[in-house]
Amino acid sequence: MSHDWQPDFEQLVDEHQSMVFSLAFRMTGDRGLAEEIAQDVFLELDRNLGRIESPEHALNWLRRVAMNRSADALRRQRVRGMDLWVEMDENHGAVFEERISPLGSRLEGLLATLPSGQRAALVLRYQEGLTPDEIAATLESPLATVKSNLQRGLKLLRAKAVSHLKEYIRGT
Amino acid sequence: MGLEPIDDIEQELRQGLLRLPAPPGLKRKIMARKRALDAEKTHGRVVFWQRLAASVVLAGAVGGAVTWHNVQEQRKGEAARQQVMMALRIAGRALDQVNAQLAEHDNGK
Repeated sequence: MSHDWQPDFEQLVDEHQSMVFSLAFRMTGDRGLAEEIAQDVFLELDRNLGRIESPEHALNWLRRVAMNRSADALRRQRVRGMDLWVEMDENHGAVFEERISPLGSRLEGLLATLPSGQRAALVLRYQEGLTPDEIAATLESPLATVKSNLQRGLKLLRAKAVSHLKEYIRGT
Repeated sequence: MGLEPIDDIEQELRQGLLRLPAPPGLKRKIMARKRALDAEKTHGRVVFWQRLAASVVLAGAVGGAVTWHNVQEQRKGEAARQQVMMALRIAGRALDQVNAQLAEHDNGK
């Protein structure tokens, strides 16, 4: 298929490195692993550059591959019996505490404790601002599953936030 | 901190889940790995063509040797056939002479 847009690899890295790294980091909770995933995703993009037809196609492609690679990394870690988010649960909020509100950073930490399907849906919804349809296309999941993951994830997050806040108020 | 922000958890998530800055040096590492892979690919292509060229030369040499050997065998066979024909002609002529002498001897009787 012919297309006029000529992708510039370096420019694509410049534009999307923050997005790819953020997705990988929020899915795995490990900065080193997220950086490695981001590198692999961009090198895969380089191999497939001829098939990318437009800037939007590149953005969607990068989102999809970043989420797939992160899910693969989580699966591999689970097989090895490691849980990347155990430490993250306690420390994750502190990393970016200066940048966001205390509740926001705590929510980000709580997000880490959700099942990966719910976490993926919420990250794409609130980091990337995607609609449920777009999330379903990115994750290659049925729309009903995505909607259910969003609802359950938000409900669980709200419950965890309330209990966290109660503990915080008791502690002060 | 009041309880109000909990009511707007979606808003908090939107604000809390902004894209993070990429680690310093990420782009440099990606470009370095890309250059290394490109160099590897180019090297692989050169090695492939070198091997292909060597194979063609080898196949040509072997084919040439076989053809040369066949031509030589054909020439030797042709020379041997010529020699046999010559020997047969000489033998035929000798027999003719013997026949003629016998005929003369018989007529003389």
